[in-house]
Amino acid sequence: MKRKTKSILFGLFVGLFAIGSLVLVSCSGSSQLVTEKTGAQLWGENCVRCHNAPSPPSFNDYQWETIALHMRVRASLTEEEVAKIVEFLKMAN
Amino acid sequence: MKRFNKLSMMVAVLIVGFLLPLYGQDAATLQQEVDALKPRLSRFLLRGYAHSGFEKFEEGSSFVGGSFNPIFLWQQSDRLLFEAELEVELENGTTRLGLEYANMSFILSKRAIVRVGQFLIPFGIFAERLHPRWINRLPSNPLGFSHGEQVGPSSALGVELRGGAPVGSGKINYSVYVINGPTLNDGSVEAEEVGQLHYDNYEDNNDNKAIGGRLGILPFSSSALELGVSAQMANVGDRGSVYENTGAQLFAVDVSFVKNITPLKSIVDIKAQYNLTRVNRETYTVGTETFRFKNESNAYFVQGVIKPAFVSNTFLQKLELAGRYSALQLAPDAPWGAEKTQWAVSVNYWLDWRTVIKFSYQYTDSPVSEHLEAEGGSGGGGAEEEGGTPLGGAFLVHWSFGF
Ligand code: HEC
Repeated sequence: MKRKTKSILFGLFVGLFAIGSLVLVSCSGSSQLVTEKTGAQLWGENCVRCHNAPSPPSFNDYQWETIALHMRVRASLTEEEVAKIVEFLKMAN
Repeated sequence: MKRFNKLSMMVAVLIVGFLLPLYGQDAATLQQEVDALKPRLSRFLLRGYAHSGFEKFEEGSSFVGGSFNPIFLWQQSDRLLFEAELEVELENGTTRLGLEYANMSFILSKRAIVRVGQFLIPFGIFAERLHPRWINRLPSNPLGFSHGEQVGPSSALGVELRGGAPVGSGKINYSVYVINGPTLNDGSVEAEEVGQLHYDNYEDNNDNKAIGGRLGILPFSSSALELGVSAQMANVGDRGSVYENTGAQLFAVDVSFVKNITPLKSIVDIKAQYNLTRVNRETYTVGTETFRFKNESNAYFVQGVIKPAFVSNTFLQKLELAGRYSALQLAPDAPWGAEKTQWAVSVNYWLDWRTVIKFSYQYTDSPVSEHLEAEGGSGGGGAEEEGGTPLGGAFLVHWSFGF
């Protein structure tokens, strides 16, 4: 019984969370399509999701290419996003 | 003095000797030499992280950790990547070498990557994405997510298909995998753990393979929110034993929300995961005793971090505040049944994007404390020792360094 209550509470948390962030995100008016975004934008939005985002000068061009492949696999990022992000990192490092 | 003059003459001649041909070298040859040094198709990158710390539990205090995790990445082409991580750790006065993962990924198409070998399992997000010491915002793992009291798998040997795709204004990611799967302790070896699932199955105990997967949905184009569901099914008993067809069903849901909140000049990062493991009800005989119980365990955590990365004060920019609540319930009627809850808070100071010092306090509680104290509360500090997290309050100061 207690476990059930806990599961329900957790479900509620997830539900509320989804609604809350929906409101937050739609208020911030960022409904731009991913395909329209620049590499810099995609870097800022995606590379902070699991860890702090590494800044472009952290690595050289060749290192970025290997890291991007590693992250494409690990983070299941889309091919399009990764291509744009690498281009940005290589240009700005 | 004379000798010195001779020596400096020789050095001068040598330098001129080296420089003269260079002077005559044209741009084309220089370009050739630079090109020769350029990495070609086969690339190698050595990265990794290290950590150690100081922990004060109610039973005592100790410097802990001292682990070093080198990560090897070999990129053989645009499509082929091998990744491996070792964990070199001090344990009871000896050095332990562990293989965290070793696998090969091949990009099949825009939307599909196949991975073979030993890999971290995308069962929820903690094992695959959050556990490295420089990524985990607290020095300890949540209850139920470390060795000794694990609810749900973390790494395995097998084959996986994964990928990500844009959908509407958001995107999805997926993973489906076949692995050896967990094994069931039938009580013949560690009698007190009868009915428990063990996840380190590197040579399968039966011919039934576990099938599992995760679906992640990022509904917004900002990628701020991700919702994930995971499941894994397998038969877990030993080949030829009465438990061979005993099934185990594992489920997880996870959520992640990371966003730069402009009015707060901060990045807000919220993550949560709930794991549920269920093993079919069986009767176990250990010596003269028989056990039959509902074999269901669960664990979850909810974690929030606020990092004022955009304030003008450079000291504050590097600070962050993290809080986490986690709870664990191991099959209440099993001999190893347990229930614990934990609060943890941490103030973290980032020296760079992967180097951090964490100052944390955590309090672990249990409504069935006598049972647990006899089981896990002995043996000195250390949040991740066998037997699980000690009860009571604890101060943990850890540093971790990524490179
Ligand atoms: C879904 C989570 C996730 C996202 C999103 C993510 N990373 Fe990572 N990243 C990780 C994990 C987990 C590791 C640690 C790998 C390990 O220790 O096994 C890591 C490690 C790294 C490293 C260390 C070197 C290496 O390859 O291990 C770099 C650099 C890095 N990430 C860059 C990036 C960049 C750039 C992006 C944006 C394109 C990104 N990450 C997005 C999860 C993520």
